[in-house]
Amino acid sequence: MKKTILGAIVAALPLAAAAQVESYTVDPIHSFSHFGVDHLGLAVIWGRFDKMSGKFTIDRAAKKAGVEVSIETASVTTGDNERGNRARTRDEHLRTADFFNVAEYPRMTYKSTNVKFSGDNPSEIEGQLTLLGVTKPVPLKIDRWTCKDHPLAKRPACGGNVSGILKRSDFGMKFGIPAMSDEIRLMINFEAFKDQ
Amino acid sequence: MKTAVMYFTFAMLPLTAAATPESYTFDPHHTFVHFAIDHNDFSTIWGRFDKSSGKFTIDRQAQTGTLDFTVETSSVTTGDNLRGDRPRSRDEHLRSADFFNAAEFPRMYYKAAYVKFNGDVPAEIRGQLTLLGVTKPLTLTVDRWKCAPHPVMKRWICGGNAIGALKRTDFGMKWGVPVAGDEVKIVVTFEAFRD
Repeated sequence: MKKTILGAIVAALPLAAAAQVESYTVDPIHSFSHFGVDHLGLAVIWGRFDKMSGKFTIDRAAKKAGVEVSIETASVTTGDNERGNRARTRDEHLRTADFFNVAEYPRMTYKSTNVKFSGDNPSEIEGQLTLLGVTKPVPLKIDRWTCKDHPLAKRPACGGNVSGILKRSDFGMKFGIPAMSDEIRLMINFEAFKDQ
Repeated sequence: MKTAVMYFTFAMLPLTAAATPESYTFDPHHTFVHFAIDHNDFSTIWGRFDKSSGKFTIDRQAQTGTLDFTVETSSVTTGDNLRGDRPRSRDEHLRSADFFNAAEFPRMYYKAAYVKFNGDVPAEIRGQLTLLGVTKPLTLTVDRWKCAPHPVMKRWICGGNAIGALKRTDFGMKWGVPVAGDEVKIVVTFEAFRD
């Protein structure tokens, strides 16, 4: 009996040793979530969330990864932030119950359920976005991915760009459709330092 | 002689009548200049100028156009605007003499007198960018263009996107190259009402 257990442990050892899960924390000053909305078929208006935090884990040998991100909805900016003679700016409007309803939902979150690899690098993320209290799958594509020692910080870091598309009406955000498109383009750029 | 002059005048008329340049003023709430640089080969950092103004003219028959555009350099934002325990935020740094030098050069200008058409649609703008007091040619590609009556304002409006690229060192902005990339991608989203 004792031998069997020992045998099982020894057999499991190489696997356990190979499973090197690394953990990374998103660098908030180099990580931003952008979104693009079609306005009347004229311009594409881009917005940005200035405050985002998150972590991810990656096990290169097992080709497994997971990510969890939280975005502060009140940090949304689109460049329209001076009222002039209007009742409110667009950025103020975006924070109201017509759009992000930041008073009730100060954060939106994204959690991966599965990360697909292409070769050694993660390439596609399957995950759930929780926005306005509604949780729906939003797949993301990793368009760019680099890991190396950060040249200034001298610490391992990863960075890249991620993109995706969602329908905001799926989350109950219906104001202004179709003048302001239902379809939202996502463009996320990120950098993350390996946890020490 | 008189006949010849008369003939010449008449020959010109149809062209003159057809030449109907229209003038448009950019809507500052729907017009933004975005730029992107590579950071450390890790990610693409995007910035946006929140304040710009300008006008353009278009003559669809003659297939000519002009553009006059001003960007307030201090309106640059990249989302990094809280110092925390740092001496300055990135946005503050961008406004300093290391980058846009907003105190000395509060505005950058883009002027174009040549627009290449693709059918009825402007496709390429060949102009001059003045940044940090340096003027260099910059060509922008119009990758989206639509003109229609605005459904709410009931005024004629044109909108779209224009893209381009430049090397910031051409304008003397050298700080941080190559960690913060020399090549700058430009994406302008715009809407403009007919005057």
